[in-house]
Amino acid sequence: MLRQLRCLMVPLAMLGMLAAGSLFAEPVTIKYILWDANQLPAYQKVADNFMAKNPDIKVTIDQAGWNDYWTSLQTSMVGGTAPDVFTDHLAKVTDFASKGQLVDLAPYVKRDKIDTSIYLPGLADLWTKDGKRYGLPKDWDTIAVVVNKDIQKEAGVTDAELANLTWNPKDGGTFQKVLAQLTLDKNGNNGLSPNFDPKNVVRYGMEIQHSDDRGQSQFSCLALSTGWSYTDGTFKSNYHFDDPRFIQTISWMLNMTQKGFICPYEVTALSNSTLFPAKKAGSTLDGSWMIGYYANSVDFPVAFVQTPIGPVGRKSMTNGLADSIWVGSKHKEEAWKWVKYLASAEAETTVGTFGVVFPAVKAGVDNALAAYKAKNMNVTAFTDLATGKNTTFVYPVLDNGVKVSEIMVQAFDTIFLGKGEVAATLKAANAKVNALFK
Amino acid sequence: MTNARRASKLPFIIVTVALLFVTLFPIYWVLRMSFTLNKQIYSGAATLLPVQPTMSNYMRVLGLIDSVTAVKLGGSGQKINFFRFLFNSVLVSTIVTFAQVLFSAAGAYAFARLRFPGRNKLFGLYISALMVPSIVMMIPNFILMKDLGWLNTYMGIMAPALLMTPYAVFFLRQFFLGINRELEEAAYIDGAGKLKIFLKIIVPISSSSLATLAVITFIGQWNDYMWPLIVGKDEKVRLLTVALGVFRSQTPQGNPDWGGLMAGTTLAIIPTLILFIIFGKKIVNSINFSGFR
Repeated sequence: MLRQLRCLMVPLAMLGMLAAGSLFAEPVTIKYILWDANQLPAYQKVADNFMAKNPDIKVTIDQAGWNDYWTSLQTSMVGGTAPDVFTDHLAKVTDFASKGQLVDLAPYVKRDKIDTSIYLPGLADLWTKDGKRYGLPKDWDTIAVVVNKDIQKEAGVTDAELANLTWNPKDGGTFQKVLAQLTLDKNGNNGLSPNFDPKNVVRYGMEIQHSDDRGQSQFSCLALSTGWSYTDGTFKSNYHFDDPRFIQTISWMLNMTQKGFICPYEVTALSNSTLFPAKKAGSTLDGSWMIGYYANSVDFPVAFVQTPIGPVGRKSMTNGLADSIWVGSKHKEEAWKWVKYLASAEAETTVGTFGVVFPAVKAGVDNALAAYKAKNMNVTAFTDLATGKNTTFVYPVLDNGVKVSEIMVQAFDTIFLGKGEVAATLKAANAKVNALFK
Repeated sequence: MTNARRASKLPFIIVTVALLFVTLFPIYWVLRMSFTLNKQIYSGAATLLPVQPTMSNYMRVLGLIDSVTAVKLGGSGQKINFFRFLFNSVLVSTIVTFAQVLFSAAGAYAFARLRFPGRNKLFGLYISALMVPSIVMMIPNFILMKDLGWLNTYMGIMAPALLMTPYAVFFLRQFFLGINRELEEAAYIDGAGKLKIFLKIIVPISSSSLATLAVITFIGQWNDYMWPLIVGKDEKVRLLTVALGVFRSQTPQGNPDWGGLMAGTTLAIIPTLILFIIFGKKIVNSINFSGFR
């Protein structure tokens, strides 16, 4: 009997080795999603580099457009099929965290001694709450004025004028003058001429989309430059939409639409700009994530100009992205390895070379600038705002994001469609918003 | 035809031409935009023909261009496995159409001809289900699919529509009520059971209305977006309509990839167009037929 058992030992041992071998050879697959299709080639390269360094981990990248991204992410979390790692946004992170869907990265960061000083100042702290950390910053964006160079030349606006735009809510400063100059009516009069006909405008000075509570590409640069701020601090929740400075800013914007220098509210109901690419508006406000769009999908050269200098200086809202790990991931250790690599200087500088976003590590910004320069785009307007003194402002990181947005969108609809008075509407909306946080 | 007759036809002709224009011009516009570069979607919109015709949109939709070039053309860098998604759509639509028509016909026959206690009350319940908007059913169905483990599978996508819809049962019951009873009685005397009567007599007689229902079901299932979006996320089972979502705006306040979207839509219309061309006459005839009873 022993002899028979001994005969079995070798094949059994081989089976055992095969089993163990296959256990070790089985690569762990990490699912990663992002929304910006322009960044897909960059992150694919980062994933390839990561997989070369970690042959037992496979990273698959999937992309879903912004409109579907959050709803499909939430349904997949409910359905138990969410990706292991996903690109997170400051406006949404508290929502996910409060629902317990994110892995706390603080213990991992401590264990692996991650150095958070390689990032631009202030970015890393935004992703922490109550001592827990939900992401490591990977890129940032700012807002600038985008100008159609052909229209600028035709209207006779000089580069020097654009570089030194001033603004105040009372008379609009040189910003209003430039907008008027870029506006054209049916008879060829621009906005500065006494014969200008605001009822027959063929080209507007600026196209501005509908604002929500953030107003990132809408009112933010103007309102912030008056010294106003959304709340008393990044994590404080007492909103100030009833502040006189904010009311004055919105009133100025409404006045501009009535004068015909900014396009009417009804024309911009779509969430993307249509007048500017159609050459029916001379300028617009947009974020650095749209640089690729202006490089590839418009028919004319564009210039990026810093936001106007307001009563307290230039301001731009800045936002940052980070990668978060889903709490239901079955491979948290491997997911952490991927997140750690994504947040490393090496990965972020690689992303920088593709010239699509500005990486959060200081070293990556220069790479990005060089990459953009190679594509013939001068994007210093965005980076100067980011590295300037006191020029950037982060929207408060709070709960109830969706409800606040709903209330403010309704308020702006009322104001800009002429259905309600500016001060009264904003005061009422602000009261509703603050009531959410009681 | 006398001149007076011709003149009296003129207003009808004008109205018909106007309606044709209103209906067909948007389709022509989709076709025209699909051959336009993204750069010129807005600036080149004033002419009837594309300013710089290009095949690059179609190549992007069919996945024949690499990501970096696609991004330069204004599109998404996402790889599009067009034929896989086309296959998924065809598979799901065909199976659902076949199953739904068969089972709805059986159900409609039961309501029309068979007698059983509570028949009319049950039918009333079916009709009241018509009034429930399908979007209300999505959350309960999603939870059910999740519990059954059918998320991201073909079964999950097909399940809600596989057996019947109240509309199909109602439509066919109306038709079956109008079939001559004598035919069935003659078959019954000859010894046929209920199933044989159904399969051998009723179905062949109602072939045109079954064909109509089949085409309506196929088109409805082909165009369905919301449910496959929620349930069929995985690339293996993604349908064409959901896959075309990749052309919508990718970034906040970003522009959709118009050229790619138009090209993708054109390609997605083709199967339903072919179906209509083949079965078109039959549908028109059947509408005539069941129009008066």
